[in-house]
Order: sequence, then C-alpha cells, then structure tokens
Amino acid sequence: MEHRVDPWLILAVVGILGASLTTLHTVSRVVGTNLLMRQLLWGVAGLMTLWMLSRVRPDVYLRLAPVLYGAGLVALLAVLIFGVARGGNRAWIAIGPLTVQPSEFVRLAVILMVAAWLADRRGDRLKKRDVVVAVLLVGIPVGLIILEPDLGVALTFLPILGGALWLGGLPRTAWIVLIVLGVISSGAAWRYVLKPYQKERVLTLLEPERDPFGAGYQVRQSKIAVGSGGITGQGLGRGSQSQLRFLPAQHTDFAFSVWAEATGFVGTTMLLLAYALLFSRIAKVALTTDSRHGLILAGLVGGWLIFQVIVSLGMVLGLLPTTGVTLPLFSYGGSSLISTCAALGIVQSEWRFRFVNQ
Amino acid sequence: MELREDLRPFRRRAAAFFFLAFAALGLLHLRLADLQVVHGVTWRNLAENNRLRRVPLPGPRGWIYDRRGQVLAENIPTWEVLLFPNEAEEVDATGIFLARIGISDIETFHQRLAERRIGRMAPLVVGEDLSWDQVAAVRSHQSDYPELAVVSRFRRHYPYGELTAHVVGHLRPVSKSEVEADPRLEPDAMVGATGIEAAENDFIAGSSGDRWVMASAVGLQLGVVSESDPAPGHDLGLTLDIELQRVAAEAFGDQAGAVVALDPQSGAVRVMYSAPSFQPEVFGGRLSRSDWRVLQENPAHPLQNRSLQGMYPPGSTIKPFFALAGLEKGLIDPQQTVYCNGSVVLYGHRFRCWRNGGHGFVNLERALTESCDVYFYLLGQRLGIEEMASWLHRFGFGERTGLDPVFEAKGLIGTPEWSRQVRGTPWYPGEAVSVSIGQGPLLVTVVQLARSFAMLANGGRPVTPYLVSPQRAPRPDPVVDPEHLALVDAALVGVVHGPHGTARRFNAIPMAGKTGTAQVARLQEGVDSKDLAPELRHHAWFAAWAPLDRPELAVAVIVEHGGSGGSVAGPIAGKIIEAFLSRRTQDGFEASFPPPSDQPASDASG
Repeated sequence: MEHRVDPWLILAVVGILGASLTTLHTVSRVVGTNLLMRQLLWGVAGLMTLWMLSRVRPDVYLRLAPVLYGAGLVALLAVLIFGVARGGNRAWIAIGPLTVQPSEFVRLAVILMVAAWLADRRGDRLKKRDVVVAVLLVGIPVGLIILEPDLGVALTFLPILGGALWLGGLPRTAWIVLIVLGVISSGAAWRYVLKPYQKERVLTLLEPERDPFGAGYQVRQSKIAVGSGGITGQGLGRGSQSQLRFLPAQHTDFAFSVWAEATGFVGTTMLLLAYALLFSRIAKVALTTDSRHGLILAGLVGGWLIFQVIVSLGMVLGLLPTTGVTLPLFSYGGSSLISTCAALGIVQSEWRFRFVNQ
Repeated sequence: MELREDLRPFRRRAAAFFFLAFAALGLLHLRLADLQVVHGVTWRNLAENNRLRRVPLPGPRGWIYDRRGQVLAENIPTWEVLLFPNEAEEVDATGIFLARIGISDIETFHQRLAERRIGRMAPLVVGEDLSWDQVAAVRSHQSDYPELAVVSRFRRHYPYGELTAHVVGHLRPVSKSEVEADPRLEPDAMVGATGIEAAENDFIAGSSGDRWVMASAVGLQLGVVSESDPAPGHDLGLTLDIELQRVAAEAFGDQAGAVVALDPQSGAVRVMYSAPSFQPEVFGGRLSRSDWRVLQENPAHPLQNRSLQGMYPPGSTIKPFFALAGLEKGLIDPQQTVYCNGSVVLYGHRFRCWRNGGHGFVNLERALTESCDVYFYLLGQRLGIEEMASWLHRFGFGERTGLDPVFEAKGLIGTPEWSRQVRGTPWYPGEAVSVSIGQGPLLVTVVQLARSFAMLANGGRPVTPYLVSPQRAPRPDPVVDPEHLALVDAALVGVVHGPHGTARRFNAIPMAGKTGTAQVARLQEGVDSKDLAPELRHHAWFAAWAPLDRPELAVAVIVEHGGSGGSVAGPIAGKIIEAFLSRRTQDGFEASFPPPSDQPASDASG
C-alpha cells in the first residue's frame, strides 16, 4: 500500500523557506541584487523535486546508487578540469546561464551509495574490512573536493562517514582507535595543514575579543546582530547591523543573523522549531520503516542535515569556528536548496513505500 | 503493527543519534536565549555604538606653476565639519548648534542636507574654514552631537588671486549628475570650473581613497576597518609669466579690457589678463547666494574672460592683413598712391577717413603708419568680401585658437552666405568697405589678434597659442610671401618709429605695432568720441611685437570704451614689452627656476 507525502514535513520545509525568502528580501537592497525572485524559483523547483522523487520506488534508488556515485566522481573530476572559479574555489560548472556546484549533488550520490552498500551487509556489526570500504566510499569524493579546494563542503561529508559507522555498528575498541586517530590527526592538521587565517578563526572562538577588527570581526558583528534582536526583534528590514552593512555575507553564511536581528528570540525559536519538526519527521521515517535501506538512508540524510544546521548556527552564534557551511533551506543558493529537497524527497519515498514488501 | 525484529539494533542506534541531535539543537536554543533574552540589552547597546563610517581621503589636486616656478595654485590645510546624516537623531538641533557657533546658517544647512546624495553613507560637509575656536567648540560638544566630525582638509589657494583668476580658473562643487555618472567622485569633491583648472582637470585632479572606521556612539574612532590610499593629482607648469601678468594688471588700473601676449615663435602664452578681475577663492568653498549675485550683477562683468570670450570689432589693427592680401593678389603696388581728401563715396554712400582733412597722397607705407581709411576702403572694394574673408581665415580669425576647449569665442567674419543664413538679410556691398577698416560684420577676440600679430612677427607662420606644452609639431610654412610681409612689417615699425606714425610717442621702445580705434556707435559729424557716454565710446586697440630684430613677444591689448588706441591701449602694451625686455636682459634669466620634478611636460624655455 502507498501513503501520502508527510504533510508535517512539507509544513516544516515551507515554513523555513518562507522565513528564508523574507530575510533575503530585506537584504536584497544591501547585497545589491534582487535575491527574492531567484530563490523563489529555486524554492518552487525544490518542492517539485521533492514531490517527484517521493513518487519513485525506493528500490530504484538502491539499484541506481552505484551509477549515480560513479557519475558523481566523474563530475568532480570535470569540475577540477573545466570548473569556474568563484571566490578562490574552483567548485562551480557553468551550464548555459546557470552555474551549478556538483559537490552538492555528489553528497547525495554518496549518501545513496553508502546506504545501498550498508543495506546489503548481513548481521548488525561492521567488520574491519567494512570500515575500510566505508572510509574509501566517502574519502575518495572528499579528497577530490578538498582539491577544489572547498573545505566547507568537504566538512559536510564527515557526518555521512560518521553516520555510516555509527548506524552500521562499530565494535567499542574500534571507536577508541578512531578517537585516538582523530586527536592525533587534528593535532597534525593544526601543525601542518591549517593556514594561519584558519587557526586565527579557531583562536578567536576561545578568546572572542582577541582581534575585533580582523578574524573576530565577522563573528563579533554576527553576535551583535543576533543579540540586539532581543525578544521581539527590531522589525524586518530595520536591523542596523544588517542595513548598515556591518554583517558580512548576509544572504549566505550570516542569513540567520539577519533573521535573528529582525525577529528576535520569537523568530529564532520558531525557526528552530521548524528545523526540529523537520528532523523529527525524518527520525520518524528512520524509526518506523521496515526496510533496512530506508532506515539507514533516513539516518544518513538526517545526520547530514542536522550536522550542517548545528555547524552553521554554531558559527553564527560564536560557538564554532567560521567554516563557510550554509544553513540548509535557509541560505541563498540554488544547488544547495535543490540537493536538500532531493534528499528529503528520497526519504519521503521510503516513507510512502514503507510497508511495501521488498 | 510489528516491525522487523532484525532491525532492532539499527533502530536503537538511530534513536540514540536523533536524541543527541535534538539535545544539540536544544543547546543552540539555550545559546540564543542567552544572547537575545538575557543579554539582549547589552548587545543592543553594542549595536547602537557600532557605527561604521566611511571617511573619504581626498587625493590632493596638483599644483599649478608659472614658467619660472612661481606657484599659481596650491592646496592649504583647513578645518571642515562633516555630518554623518544617518547617525543624526535630531538634525534640526544639530543645525541650530552649528548656527550658534557661527559655522553655518540654518537655511544653508538644510539646503545642503536636501542636496545630499542618499545611499552612500557619505558624510556631508556642513562647514568649512573653521577657526580654532569653532574647532574647539565642536570638539567639546562631541558627545552631544556624535554625528559631527571635525576633519582637516585641503583648500585650493591662488597666491596671485585676481591676477590669474581667468587664466588659471577656479573650482566648483561637483554636480549631482556627475557623481552619478562617475562613482569614483565624492559627492562633495571640487572640480575645475573654468580656465586651466577645468581644461586640465583630469590631469590635475587626484582620485580619492577611503577609510572605513568604526566609531562609537560618542563619535570616537574605535579603529580602522579598511583603508585605500588616495592618489594625488599631477602638478602642471604653465607658460605664463606672472611678473608680466602683474605689469599688465597694474597698467590696466580700473579700465576694462584684456591683453594677451605670446611668444611669436612657439605660441607660448606669457600674459593673459582680463580686467576687471575677481577673487577666485570665493568659489573655493561654497559660494553664498549674495556673493554670486554681486558678481553676476556687476555691470563690468568681472567673471567674463575678455581675452577669450570677448568679441570686438578689430578697427584699424586688421589693416596689415588686408594690405598683405592686396600685395599677394597683386592688386596694389607699394609705391602707387591714392589721394585721400577725408572721404570717399562708394556704392552711393560716403565713407569717411578718421582724419577730417584727409591724408593727401598716400602709398601703402603711409596708409599703414598713419592708418589712412580711404586707402583701405578702395582696397577693400577691389578685394571683395570673399577674398578678404579667406585671408582673414588664413591668419586665424573666425576660428578658435584652442586655448580653452569650452569657453572660447570664435569671433565673426561676415560674408554674403553668413548674411543670408544667420542674419537673414541680404548682403550690402558697402559692408565689405566697412570690413576693410575693421568695422561692420567683423568681430575678433584678443587672443586671435595676438596670434595674428605673432604671425606678422615670426615670418608669417601659423602658431597655436598654448598655456601647457602641446605635442611638438613640424613648423608650418608661411602663408604669405616674405617680401610682402617685410613691406608690411616695415610699415608697422613706422607706426611706432616713423615721424608721422600713430604710435610714435612710444618710439623709445623697440617694438612694431598697429593702433586701432573701433567704433561702438556711429558718430555724428563733428562729435568727438570723448564726449559720448562711456558705454558708447570707442574701443581702443593696440597690437605689437618686440624686439624688432628677432621678435620674442607679440601682444594684443584692448581697452573697452577707452577711446583712441594709440593713447590708451598703447601704454599698456608698451609697459608689458618694456618689462619683458628688461627681464630678458637680466642675468640668470633662462636658468632661474627649474620646473617641478613630477611635472611631465612643462614649458621651461618657451
């Protein structure tokens, strides 16, 4: 039997999109282009994508996963060779008038591939060999993305690997080894990989007043914006931090700060509730499906989106270092919006066909 | 409904994961509550104190020098008050405060506020040339009026003031449409309005940089966020000789008129002065309406640059060129005489000579030295208007010299075609007779006459007057036969040094020239020009060159309504030439002042 698309999930998505479009409208004058119409078109396209992908039977995703994964790797190679540079990153491909960021879609392909592979395992624990496979499945595209170099997007692949290992079931000893490895590699990264400006971002987190006009400037302005929203906000389009351009990247990384300044704690609470509703509906799919593939897929999509929301909000609120991770469904950008909606559509397909025998 | 048993461990892990995720979301929500609810007021105050100000860093204009390195235009520091309009809470109160300490009256303040350009966060200059007391008053009330800022700027200063007002020009505030067309222009930038300041504006003007500073609620600068450096403009050397300019101005006294002197070989302009003049610095700040009215309504029109814009009948100064035309066309023999009995009847009209009794028998030389009108009436009749117009064009009349790209007048050479098309009346043959003595439909500018006399002095080669070195061009060929030119030049030497020359009173000065007295109104018989109302009196002309052997200066002087050319305009030209010759023989003349180092193409030697 088939079910309808989950109306609560649609409500959450539409609610977040509405807040996003309102915010983008108020910053259009500051940023200097009309963002509203473009993002509205992307939003409509996203909802249509969601609906269409939810009509596809889950086993199609299972079978298509290796093909999509292979295509994703090819696309990443193509970006490295033919890509268009924007702000130092060679991450976009121009298709006619559009510029598309393939890494957003590759992430989806990786999620499908990992889910398909995990659903195919027997038993409820991963073997050592399985861990190597999981690391390779995620690591190869991440390596290509780091070459672009787009560390912000590469970072969002981390929860896919983490989710796969957690859901797949890793022995306790393996976790200990992983944690030790993580500490060592982050130490090594601090010493050898991170650039001075990146270190500076981490340091300002520990000591916010360290350099208020340099590395700490953006986060400081964001905190001022969020905080000065108070309980009820300064009103849409009236926030001085936003309208006087103290805030950087108002339509992308710091869009949430604009919303927080304009609508205050009331508005941010409503937005957080909308995200909570969204995640609870994804969790509902994971916890009530009778399909191993569906469970893992919903878990991975949920893990990715939750990770991105937490990292993005953590940065805006001055809890995590500046990384350039955008807020899903809220920040301006077509590729990210479409890929998020596509992921939700695939989860919905698992929901609609959850009792169909496979 | 029973779920599959074998998925239970996976469900358990997923549940744990989602539980953690919601806990993290909860933590973020706590953080939001802390920022927005608990400390909301603190952050709000920080936002209030948080003011990013864009302070333009103006690129100073280049200085302007004369040929010896004397400064004609420079920048001197001055204090200005800026208003950051988006930070003002009570603009009216700010206006009253500024008025109270005497910086700006309330009407002007609101006018400036209304004219400001919105959307650039640009500060507005609401007061300039502050005294120390005013600076102190604003500074001490800084916390009451945080939207004000006292800054040090540069003001354009012209050390020679009225002496160079027309030639160097002055500045004006940039217009709104210019700012919209060029985003690099500051809304309160000053650009060249007239003279060299306008003609060479692109070269002299610097481009401004900007500095973004964060300022607190009490107007204190907390730090510089970013800064880009301004680029200063280039310095410019002119060919002008300020000492000769001063001699010219003093010689004019309070008479109205103009003088242009240039090097006949190169065209380098040494003197360009228009009387009366004005104080150019009234335009340097913001011109008050009353000052503007005084300048506009002055009957002597001090703002008009008479040397370039004034068009006058040339009178007898035009005669040497018709003499040359007659010689070139073979219409006159230098020795052939004409009998002048004081008048001649042509086309049924009696044309009078300026000397009532007539000159008797005159040949070419006497016709020029004693300025016989009858000789030239007959010559003009034989040449015809088309031929005369063509020769006038050859000597540069009827065309702009190019000294000023905007404001220069072309003059007028009336022809039958012009009469039909512009005037709309038929051409009368008698008009050609009037043109032959520089009356009728013939108007020239002072700079045109100076250039034409430079051609008489340099062997008949066209020259282009300039104030800033132009590109080198090959020397043009003479437009007349050197023998003919020698004849005319000898006659013009006779004007000054001959026994009957009309300018013989200056025979101590080694110059050659031609007087001219141009009628403004037709004279009744037996009435002297001196008895007429001042605005109807004749214009007095004198055009000359010196020294005689190798001419180095050509001068044209007009004194408006001055009367007789020889007695009124002659002394001015004479003084300029005397000053030029005496300075020329001084030691160290050529090597005096080197041009400034960053001056790309100056005229040092002329």
